[in-house]
Amino acid sequence: MQVKLLAAALGTLAFVFGISTTLAAQRSAADGARALEGGWVRLDTTGSGSFGGLTANFARAVLTPEGAAKLKPQRDPDDVEPDNRPHKAGEPYIVTQGRCGGFGPGGVEPNSAALFIIPSRDEVLLTREGPGARHIYTDGREHPPLSRIAAGLGHSTATWDNGDLVIDTIGLPEGGVTAGGWRTPETHLTERYHVEDDGMHMRLTFTWTDPKIYAKPHSYSFQFERVPADGYAFENWCDSGDPLQRQSVVPPEQLP
Amino acid sequence: MKTGILVVTVVAAFTAVAAAQTPNARDISGYWELTYMDGQHVPRAQLVPRVTRAVLDAQAQKDFKAVRWCNIVGMPAIMASPRPLDIRQGEKTIAIAAEINAATRYLYLNRTTHISKDIFDPTTNGDSIAKWEGDTLVVDTIGFDPNKGVTAIPGGGFRTANTHLVERYRLLNNGSLLSVRFTWTDPGVFRAPHTYEFRYARLARDYEARLPLNCDPFDETRTAFLTARP
Repeated sequence: MQVKLLAAALGTLAFVFGISTTLAAQRSAADGARALEGGWVRLDTTGSGSFGGLTANFARAVLTPEGAAKLKPQRDPDDVEPDNRPHKAGEPYIVTQGRCGGFGPGGVEPNSAALFIIPSRDEVLLTREGPGARHIYTDGREHPPLSRIAAGLGHSTATWDNGDLVIDTIGLPEGGVTAGGWRTPETHLTERYHVEDDGMHMRLTFTWTDPKIYAKPHSYSFQFERVPADGYAFENWCDSGDPLQRQSVVPPEQLP
Repeated sequence: MKTGILVVTVVAAFTAVAAAQTPNARDISGYWELTYMDGQHVPRAQLVPRVTRAVLDAQAQKDFKAVRWCNIVGMPAIMASPRPLDIRQGEKTIAIAAEINAATRYLYLNRTTHISKDIFDPTTNGDSIAKWEGDTLVVDTIGFDPNKGVTAIPGGGFRTANTHLVERYRLLNNGSLLSVRFTWTDPGVFRAPHTYEFRYARLARDYEARLPLNCDPFDETRTAFLTARP
């Protein structure tokens, strides 16, 4: 009887200890979540001063012959035929159809808008400053078959690795990738979000893997700075009914 | 004695497990869907005399233009989304993402004051600060743009630059329902604070967000539908 009682007590303690161990493992994820939560702004670490310049120095993708054959020029479907006539400073000209309302997941590659990361128990929400969001499932679920992934959205799951958020995505629509890459729905994208020890900077590393397209994984990183504690998300406004929405303008000459 | 120790140990263990599985009354993360028919309790708003039929018609025209051109709708339309809302609660921020053409809402838990009007450009969602009072999340919002998005408020009236909104979020039925009580105050629109309640059902944990509903401002069939008399 005493042996049975002792065994039961030990079993119960082992059970409780198991829960404690699990909670301890979750603390690491909790620390990562705590560090990652908030707004982040992409940095131009090379001082390129332009959108294209930031990624110009990234190592180019090494493609397989099959991958190279897939490459084709990409154009924003909202763009109009390029107006290549010279324009005077201050002269507006039409560059897009001004179409608002194609609310996708907000894209997977960062742009100049701030990125906001809100981790919760089952999901990490990645948002920007307009409609659409990326929903990253952290509850251990698997990717569904590609045939069940909605076109344009992709499917993302994630784990926490020593406080880093590591996202795996498939099912993205076919198209171009930074630094000469290409993707199809079968291509795996791995994103690693690593907050530096200072808590104010973050490195986001993209790795594209697809043996049909890449001779070796295609990888590059962006640096981010944390939005200040009293900062807030802007709201991106788009009005297709506003003719100015369609225009660009040659900037006037800048004073020295 | 030994039996007593065993009982205490077992009770402690199962209490720990139960605590881990019980919904946290102060965490509203999840996918929430406005329940059909019985999810909205909206009395008629009492409007001030200056809000005449002509004023309401003019505001409705603005709202129509926002819909016609696929503008982001903002508050309060986002909270009446026909698709589920994804609400995610962090330590400093709560985000509300919709599957419609609405910018994500951010409710700041780490601020107790609003951004200065000298700095904050009014938006369709406004500036929202939030705090917990017991098991109720109280969200205070100002800074609305009176000319952008869909401004109509359920029950009557519309948001302006002077509108103040207080929302009270509370989990019901062991976390399966989310109650949100909205109270709108605006001396230029409402004779008395206008309060109504929405209730949202929690969706299954395996629910997966869908692409937001597409809105094409240049779709001629859509435009004809919106502009023609039925």
